[in-house]
Amino acid sequence: MDFQTYYCLKSLVKKGRSIAESKKVISFDLFDTLLIRRIHDPDLVKLPVARFISKLSKRYNCIIGWQKVQAMRDEIEGNHRAATGKKFEDHEACYPEFMGELLARIFGEETGAQLLDQVTEYELFMENSMLVPRRELVSWLKELAASGKRIFIISDMYLPASHLRKLVAHAGLLDFVEDVIGSADTFLAKASGKAYQMVAEKYRIDCKDWLHIGDNGFSDGLRAVEAGVDALIISDPKEAQRKSIVKRIYNYSDGKPFWRGRVLQQLMAPHEGENIDQSPLYIEGYNFIGPMIGLFVQRIAEICLEKNITKIFFLSREGWTFKRYWEQAMPALYPEGGLPEIEYLYVSRMALAGASCAFSGLTQTKADIAFLPSGNRDFRDVCRIFSLDSNKFHSCLESFGLSEETCLSHIHDGYDPENRKKFEAMLEDPGFQAEVKAQTGDANCAMLRYFEDVGLFRHKDVAIVDIGWLGSIQRFLFEAIAHREDKPKCHGYLFGATRGIPYDTSEKNSIEGVIYDRDRFDLAGSTLFYARDIFEEACRAPYPTLNGYKLTEDGYELIFRQTDDEIGQSELAQDRYFAPLQQGIYDSAKRFGAAAAMLNYSLTDYRPWINSLLVSKLAFPKAKEIFRIRNQHHLDDFHGQKQPKADFSKGFVPLWDRPQWQLRFSPLLRVRCFFRHLRERINE
Amino acid sequence: MKPVLNKRFELTGNEMFRLIKISAFGKVVPIGNLRGGPGVRCLIVLSLLHYFGALGYYVKARYGHRLGFVKSFLRRVRG
Repeated sequence: MDFQTYYCLKSLVKKGRSIAESKKVISFDLFDTLLIRRIHDPDLVKLPVARFISKLSKRYNCIIGWQKVQAMRDEIEGNHRAATGKKFEDHEACYPEFMGELLARIFGEETGAQLLDQVTEYELFMENSMLVPRRELVSWLKELAASGKRIFIISDMYLPASHLRKLVAHAGLLDFVEDVIGSADTFLAKASGKAYQMVAEKYRIDCKDWLHIGDNGFSDGLRAVEAGVDALIISDPKEAQRKSIVKRIYNYSDGKPFWRGRVLQQLMAPHEGENIDQSPLYIEGYNFIGPMIGLFVQRIAEICLEKNITKIFFLSREGWTFKRYWEQAMPALYPEGGLPEIEYLYVSRMALAGASCAFSGLTQTKADIAFLPSGNRDFRDVCRIFSLDSNKFHSCLESFGLSEETCLSHIHDGYDPENRKKFEAMLEDPGFQAEVKAQTGDANCAMLRYFEDVGLFRHKDVAIVDIGWLGSIQRFLFEAIAHREDKPKCHGYLFGATRGIPYDTSEKNSIEGVIYDRDRFDLAGSTLFYARDIFEEACRAPYPTLNGYKLTEDGYELIFRQTDDEIGQSELAQDRYFAPLQQGIYDSAKRFGAAAAMLNYSLTDYRPWINSLLVSKLAFPKAKEIFRIRNQHHLDDFHGQKQPKADFSKGFVPLWDRPQWQLRFSPLLRVRCFFRHLRERINE
Repeated sequence: MKPVLNKRFELTGNEMFRLIKISAFGKVVPIGNLRGGPGVRCLIVLSLLHYFGALGYYVKARYGHRLGFVKSFLRRVRG
């Protein structure tokens, strides 16, 4: 009798099937056999737990650094192993015992005992997030269970069987096994061979009827054979390759910041049964946009804790995805809690634009914002954006020598600078502003009722989180609440702040870009200019935009845009097209949280990788990536339907708007576009 | 249809070759702050691991016990 080593799971399972026919009992090793770890070194899972304990120590006023916690854990665990070694052949330790002692030393006997469950729960959560069931072995195990074999899982591990069962249950295997046996309960391990004797006696197994599968030639192979158990050993070179890659990237990331983002992505990558064939859009969501959003929300959490921000409002509609990502990723990153409340806020530029005029009127800056989109031409566009009835301004317009159709945008035919001056003079007219305020009062009142409902005024410091780009939603939002004494301090955080119109920053109202901010020179980050729309479309909530707030007798009503017109249908079509992309983003969230918790890096550490990723994906994309990701329809009610002058659109065509043949065959197209981008950024 | 992580354990859509191209371009033209970049040695080692690692580790798993002399030779070369 001898154990056999296999270098491929398929051949092991094939051999196992033939041997198992004559066996009644099949046992499996757990770690590196039935379950593999995303990380190369299992001890790394202990580090986030040490950080968690360190954070708890701050709450209990017995502050201790996480490195010290880890050193103490190693020392106590070592002592426990040495003590066990005096009584048993195996030098094993038992998690609840050494962790209980560690917590008692840090927090005192009573508090330590209370915290043990909390710490254990987090340790198992982190273990679970790093463990992946091996597809082929698991399906064989299920097959064996279905054929009536007795299945056991035996592990040499400091976690007792009660804890191991939770890991096995998370992997979906508990219903198929008769029992899970851990060496921490009895201190009889496979390494000494005692575990095999103990299991045989306890479960009345004849060793001749027993087949054991594992990965360790000594404890799973030699010791099993010595006990009279047939054994098959897997020594998988693909696994060795995978771990070696993770190990090297992890080690490089210590000295070379560039690799920090790569190791994050490598750790959050799916394996085995998770890593199935997906659509190319799903892959873009998982490997490109998902991690970007993850780093964005992680940074927001850090800022909120630094600035004592007590509530985060994720603005519709991109905030839908940000909030969802936050909910999935934060439990791993902040197990101790203490994060601000979160709320999804139904807003839009169109809905807030009108409401913002109720007290401050229609200001020059707001009018400038209205004329930024090339499709807006005249006073009717202004009225459409700010929800005004243009008929009531006839006399006012006439008194300033204007009409509804007078061209006020320099990029349209018929523009006369004098008319723009007249329009600006009209904005100073008290009569005009009184009419604006009268028309927008109800919308503002309804909006305030909604904001009161969601608790905007119950906090001193709130974060306003949006995708970008000019910050006009927050600008309108703050103007709409600026008259209230109880207005909170609004800290605005945008995914990308491309700005354009100076933002009225004040003590109570500020804005900054997290991934990119035009106010900071960031060449790689500025590649967001290449394709802003894809980030918007990728993060957009699956419902129509908000058109406004309607005042009702008993409160307010949120008015959403209809989807039965052509634009609404186009938007639905775009949502359907991007559904796999969004799924990729959502699926990456939990694994991002676990990987980021494992690495404990911040956005600054990941920045070199993000920079490389942005340049690679946005400035130097493959042609097929552009065809795939670029949006097919982009709804913007803010943008009017008027056609600008013919020569307006004759200038430079951005890379992402180029036709297929140019993207495929035009020589050095991406380099030329990048140099132009460089010049623009340097000159702005 | 492809998996998120390919058979060589690279991130689909951001493989080593693409990384090398962008890093090389970044050496000539400013593309942003890469804080030292990936480093040539790291790129070579990782490329070898991604593209030839499976073969290397198969040989190691299968015949590793007979390759002790290679290890001692490498140890001597490294000093």
